[in-house]
Amino acid sequence: MAKTILIVDDSASVRQVVGLTLKGAGYDVVDAVDGKDALTKLDGRKLHLVISDVNMPNMDGISFVKEMKAKPAYKFTPVIMLTTEGSEAKKRDGQMAGAKAWVVKPFQPAQMLDAVSKLILP
Amino acid sequence: MELSQERRENRLCLQAVGEMTIYSAAELKPALLEVLGRSDEIEIDLSGVSELDTSGVQLLILMKREAAVAGKALTLSRHSQAVLEVFELLGLGSWFGDPQLLPADATGRAAA
Amino acid sequence: MSLDLGDALQTFFAESRSLLQEMEEGLLRLETAPDDAEAVNAVFRAAHTIKGSSGLFGLDDIVAFTHKAENVLDRVRNNELALTEDLVGLFLGCRDHIERLLDITADGVEMDAATRQQGEALASQLGQYMGQPAPTLPAETNEPVQSVGGGRVADDTWHISLRFGQDVLKNGMDPLSFLRYLGTLGEIVHLTTLDDALPGAREMDPECCYLGFEIRLSTEADKARIEGVFEFVRDDCQLHILPPGSRVADYIDLIEALPENNIRLGEILVACGAMTQRELDESLALQACESARQESPQPLGEILVKRQIVQPELVDAALTKQKEARHRQAQEARFVRVHADKLDSLINLVGELVIAGAGVGLMAARNKDGAMMESVSGMARLVEDIRDGAMRLRMVEIGETFNRFRRVVRDVSKEIGKDIELVIGGAETELDKTVVEKIGDPLTHLVRNAMDHGIESADVRLARGKPAKGTLQLNAYHESGGIVIEVVDDGGGLNRERILAKARDKGLIQAGDNLADRDVWNLIFEPGFSTAEQVSNLSGRGVGMDVVRRNIEALRGTVEIGSREGVGSTFRIRLPLTLAIIDGFLMGVAESHYVVPLDMVLECVELSASASRNEGCDYLNLRGEVLPLLRVKEHFNLKGRSSRRENVVVVTAAGRKAGLVVDELKGEFQAVIKPLGTLFERIRGISGSTILGSGEVALVLDVPALQDEAARAGSSGVMV
Repeated sequence: MAKTILIVDDSASVRQVVGLTLKGAGYDVVDAVDGKDALTKLDGRKLHLVISDVNMPNMDGISFVKEMKAKPAYKFTPVIMLTTEGSEAKKRDGQMAGAKAWVVKPFQPAQMLDAVSKLILP
Repeated sequence: MELSQERRENRLCLQAVGEMTIYSAAELKPALLEVLGRSDEIEIDLSGVSELDTSGVQLLILMKREAAVAGKALTLSRHSQAVLEVFELLGLGSWFGDPQLLPADATGRAAA
Repeated sequence: MSLDLGDALQTFFAESRSLLQEMEEGLLRLETAPDDAEAVNAVFRAAHTIKGSSGLFGLDDIVAFTHKAENVLDRVRNNELALTEDLVGLFLGCRDHIERLLDITADGVEMDAATRQQGEALASQLGQYMGQPAPTLPAETNEPVQSVGGGRVADDTWHISLRFGQDVLKNGMDPLSFLRYLGTLGEIVHLTTLDDALPGAREMDPECCYLGFEIRLSTEADKARIEGVFEFVRDDCQLHILPPGSRVADYIDLIEALPENNIRLGEILVACGAMTQRELDESLALQACESARQESPQPLGEILVKRQIVQPELVDAALTKQKEARHRQAQEARFVRVHADKLDSLINLVGELVIAGAGVGLMAARNKDGAMMESVSGMARLVEDIRDGAMRLRMVEIGETFNRFRRVVRDVSKEIGKDIELVIGGAETELDKTVVEKIGDPLTHLVRNAMDHGIESADVRLARGKPAKGTLQLNAYHESGGIVIEVVDDGGGLNRERILAKARDKGLIQAGDNLADRDVWNLIFEPGFSTAEQVSNLSGRGVGMDVVRRNIEALRGTVEIGSREGVGSTFRIRLPLTLAIIDGFLMGVAESHYVVPLDMVLECVELSASASRNEGCDYLNLRGEVLPLLRVKEHFNLKGRSSRRENVVVVTAAGRKAGLVVDELKGEFQAVIKPLGTLFERIRGISGSTILGSGEVALVLDVPALQDEAARAGSSGVMV
């Protein structure tokens, strides 16, 4: 059974490319446009990994991860946060919220796939 | 993770079904330890384990150790594919010392 | 990896353009409010997202450049760097450059030298704000480990020691995943699982990780790549990597550094083939006197405490931001995006409906059908409402146009070295989209003129007791069915004497003329008039204020000036709310119909003998005022019967009066204006057409153009 990944990013192009990449590698992909939207995807389905941008309208990635980690069914779901090199403070917040894996934007599709593979193989 | 027990003569046979992962670890630990107190001879049937992660491995190691300390016999049996894969990766087959029935296509270092 | 990214690329371009727009808005907001954290964030986020997405498409030029800008932005965001005006300027420059790079990419062309230079110049400016050279990727020294003396371990595999922190599982990281991934780099020759840290049943927390691993990995990968496997748990694990060919001493150091019992570790290393028993024994003996190189664990506690302190503020900030975002979203939800063409075609149809309605009304009137006429008038009211409603659909706020001037004002004030603040009022005032599109140019000219010639330089201002910083206002408001747009400066005002002197020089007025202020100010709209003693490269580029007036009049608008010396000037533009429908005055000439906008009509008089006629140019003496007469019939070479009595419609445009000689006066008429086809574009004096209820066509007269014509026909235009 394919493993399911939730990708949360307000950039449609990022969602599109990451989605294509992951599907190509054999993962199932669900996407959301921001934290708020992403919360609606936590509907009991099994998620093996969440990839989330930090800076998003409506609900940023860190708040989203905090809320997600408060749900028993997703307490231990690994999270890859997308960030820029400079945002060390954000990174700390994110780590506090429970997101330990960070992928630096900009990334190539292959880099994303590589990062995902470290956490779950398809 | 579902646990069911069945007593066969002196041996308490425990069947674990489902994901032996971090999500069930907190419940599984007391359940397993409780079983340990109820028999001198325990067998854990792993054929129904669909997923095993580090937390599951740790619990199995803990059980094995606690059993040894208490002078009881603990055997793991009927390892599922998921369990075999992890044991092979971690080189744990010999540590547990239980016979592992390898499926025909699995090439393991179980005896390493 | 080959993916079809064509569609995604288009998404990327559209997305990036709108982000650049946000970025500009944010920067301009920051110019007036440098402390606006939300704006800083918006700008940062825009750069961040563009960089992120362009990386996905391998657009390295954009990534590299945006990255530099983002680094500086990040320092601003973290309050490490004050947001000065210069810095905002630099960011605006960067924004423009990113746009240029996007254009180049979208067009699929090579980067030209100028763009490249521009990029380098901006990058070096950005570099100055970084304090130190921008950090490149963490330079993990990857040099082959040199073996200087000591026994060499005869092995070609890497040795990896891993001790996971207790929290990794809770963080959703499973060490097994990393080990599986490690396996994809090569072959795991040997792996020993260490459970030494696993406590007894009572203390053991089932959600904590207690395991460690000693791994022998045979791989082509380099050290950085192996380290990369554990990047997500770097802070949560102890990782030691020994390259192939490491000395025994390195292993001994490793044993010292690891938490487990040295003897046990030694045994494990021997077991997994890292070293032989003899090597181990000898080395341990030697090691006793050497100080161990210990990797000190991270002072996590300290960091935690710090984090706890930081937390509440961050939460507050996040909450505020969310609230604002929600508010914005709620506002956005009230709008529907409609393609402008759809609106235009709706307006067109409504125009037809107005005409058709008029036709029905005409029929009813002709048939003297009372009941019918009543229904028609009821319908006409509804049609009028629909017309107004449709027109309102095309109304847009002028704010967007005004906001564009933030950039203009900022750039121009830098260029001419004056400190000028733009204050916008009435941004929510609405007017027709077509008018908005056309008002930009004249407005730009007025704004530049005010900055260049109106507002004095700082020292002059200070000498006059004014604040050094000049203020330029753009205001808009509705007034009697039209919109008024004001360009107000607090500069020196117009200099009456200087204008008069110049006007006399140019022969625009006679020496003895006694003019009211208003008329004096209007002189600057005359062709070729320029009052600035020093022509700068902005306003004094040959395009005069006369063009401004002509542009505004082309929109059926007027412009007037109010000015007080030393206090400032106000340029007041009045425009109709829409160009599509006008209240017109219908006139008959020969067999044809003509319309002039009603608001240009001053009065109608019968053409009497008082009109003198000499050589094709007529003048009318209207109560002592001499008006040029324009015979519409002759102008358009119309044949047909001459009416017994001719009428004069006195019109005014831009402060000039003239008389139009027509046959018949037909009264007020609501005209839906249709543009002329390209075929008729060159006909002077006609600005459009409209259809009468009877189905006949009436032409809309372009009064200013006719006046020019009249002035040209006569020896000189008469200024009143």
